[in-house]
Amino acid sequence: MHSSHRRRTASVQTSQARLGILLLLPAMLLLAGLTLYPVLYGVWLSLHHKHSFFPQQSWAGLENYWFLLADPEFSESVWRGVVYSVSTITLQIIIGVGAALALNQYFPGRSLVRGIVLFPYVIPTVVAVILWKWLLNNQFGLINYGMVMLGLTDEPINWMGRTYIMTSLILISVWQFFPFVVLAVLARLQTIPTELYEAARVDGAGPLSRFLYVTLPQLASVLFIVVLLRTIWMFTKFDTVWLMTQGGGAEKYIRTLPVYAYLRAFHYYEAGTGAAASVVMFLLLVVFAAVYFMMFRREEQL
Amino acid sequence: MQRIESVRQLALSVTCAILFAGTVAGAAVAQTKVVRVWHTETDPASVKAVAEIVERFEKAHPDIKIEAEALAWGDLEPKIQAALAAGAPPELSHGQPITCTALQQQGLLLPLDDVVKAIGESNVWDQIKQVCRADGKYYGLVHAAGTSLLIYRADWAKQKGLKAPKTWSDLIANAKALTMDTNGDGKPDVYGLTIPGDNLFINILVGELIAANGGQLFDDKNKPLFIDKRMIEVLNFWKELTTALPPGWEGHGYLDTFASMYGQKAAMMFQGYGRGASLIEKYVPKEMQDTDHFDVWMKPVGPSGNKPAVQVDEEPWMLLKGSKNPEAAKEFLKFFYKDENYIEYIKSVPIHFFPITKSLRQSAAYKEIPMVKRWGGWLEVQQEALDGDLAKPTLVVKYEDLNTKPYLMQVLGSGIIRDMVLETVVEGKKPEEAAAKAQARAEALIKKAGYAKW
Repeated sequence: MHSSHRRRTASVQTSQARLGILLLLPAMLLLAGLTLYPVLYGVWLSLHHKHSFFPQQSWAGLENYWFLLADPEFSESVWRGVVYSVSTITLQIIIGVGAALALNQYFPGRSLVRGIVLFPYVIPTVVAVILWKWLLNNQFGLINYGMVMLGLTDEPINWMGRTYIMTSLILISVWQFFPFVVLAVLARLQTIPTELYEAARVDGAGPLSRFLYVTLPQLASVLFIVVLLRTIWMFTKFDTVWLMTQGGGAEKYIRTLPVYAYLRAFHYYEAGTGAAASVVMFLLLVVFAAVYFMMFRREEQL
Repeated sequence: MQRIESVRQLALSVTCAILFAGTVAGAAVAQTKVVRVWHTETDPASVKAVAEIVERFEKAHPDIKIEAEALAWGDLEPKIQAALAAGAPPELSHGQPITCTALQQQGLLLPLDDVVKAIGESNVWDQIKQVCRADGKYYGLVHAAGTSLLIYRADWAKQKGLKAPKTWSDLIANAKALTMDTNGDGKPDVYGLTIPGDNLFINILVGELIAANGGQLFDDKNKPLFIDKRMIEVLNFWKELTTALPPGWEGHGYLDTFASMYGQKAAMMFQGYGRGASLIEKYVPKEMQDTDHFDVWMKPVGPSGNKPAVQVDEEPWMLLKGSKNPEAAKEFLKFFYKDENYIEYIKSVPIHFFPITKSLRQSAAYKEIPMVKRWGGWLEVQQEALDGDLAKPTLVVKYEDLNTKPYLMQVLGSGIIRDMVLETVVEGKKPEEAAAKAQARAEALIKKAGYAKW
């Protein structure tokens, strides 16, 4: 009786497990089809000479990777990507944390201001970039007009020309993405126990000390994730960068790694080299993430 | 156990329902032939004209559905690539003449001879017949042609007593004379010239300038000629022009240069087109919407050249092999080119779209288009360039280049020529140095693509 019950239970469990696998299968196939297959196809493509339009392809081994190593355009684009990522992330964190601290204080109209601060993050990238391009236009733009009127500059600044286009790109990107930092940090700030601040006050800590020794350590876990995610997203950022010039002359001066990979695949028609550049970008991020985790993961609070 | 059985029954019912719905929908779709049409005329008037032609066609052919999509130039080629890679190309698409030839040489296009026959081969302008043609077959059929134009402010030129520039030196002199400080603050607020900084337009311009300077971009063995004296002259000319160009011109797109022109910030536009007339009629004050204020000159000749050169914007329709309904697509094109339909399309940007059919161009209906009457001078300059064989597609110096240099598409996309110009003009490098770098890059690209014969 006992053994027959056990057999029945085992049979039910097996049947349930099969059903479970069956129900999971569509999601797993979808993931494999949409994530795993493109990644593996990209790696496979990077090992071939392949014209983007034409069907012919031939085995290249590591040739595409050697080509990248020797290509000054590639190394320049990696460097520009690093400049762009580090600058935008640093500014996003500083402005985002500052704004979150301000929005954590009570003041009349706080809810409205919180909503407005999120505005840049919710508008579509294409709209944001077009808007900024017109504002920064050196012949008709409002920003130059205002700066000249206020006497801040004698003549309009060429924000979209060689000298300032990277600065413009960084400012637009910071404007567009700092609300993400605000969201994450503000959520964490609202959960810090007020007792910690009261205790610090009793111990004679001023605002700066309270920020450095209470707020900042409490934010560490959130900032850890924010920096990681923003690094991945900014280093692989394509739309904002591309839309700034859409292949225009000054594109040369803001050509980051994702744009380089795109150009190789869709403008040089070298799908293999473009894929190799994407694989390198992926590997660079893996290395960064590994180092980042090794450096900060040991911190107890993370 | 009972619950598992219920779930099984539910899953079975849902699957049957999906299969049934799919079969019914599939049967409905099978009755209609869908023709996908990708074109690059994103002007709202052109989009509307295409939509109206499609509507009339579908009424006349209830078994065919046309899915027309207007795409920006930058989006078109990646989309064609993706479609070809997926094995699901559209039936019809616009493309650059050099793209059309490259696809044809790879056997990816179907001939459009039936369409040409329906239009009447003798009814098509000879200049048009040179685009994307191989082995006597038409693999591309131009939707409409329009040449680049040197647009200038006729009222300002008259005030300054300037005449049409015959040489590059004349053009530089005119541009300097038209760079003006109108508000007396000691700085120019009107620049003599405006040029787009886009990759495409820099390539177009270099192609034009080298032809106007009696040179070529590549020799018969496909070796780039970027370090040739004539190219160095082109780069030096461009460098001299910058004294009359607005600062930051390299960041200006094609439409920005039009904005400079009708926004009265520039006096000449080197890379203008007939669509400028439509923009002028849209954006400048009514009393200035005429050729007394905005007119065109034939482009000047370089120091080593003997005749002007312009680019002709003449993207062909391409019929892609592997698409599902090529025969239905041909029917659509035959309908599109019928005078009564084609004129609607031409009317959408009439000074930029030269009809490819003689019957339409010589018809009273075409000549009576109000804009054609108002901007006749602009059309005459284009006609002169087309008739005089001065107009060639992007990067093409001789029409044979289309068939003998299939790598032009890659050269254009690579930005090598754009970088050479920017390094000289914006970064201040010596023309010889920038040209040598571009030469090495272009040689590497052509070798890699397998076309080097030197």
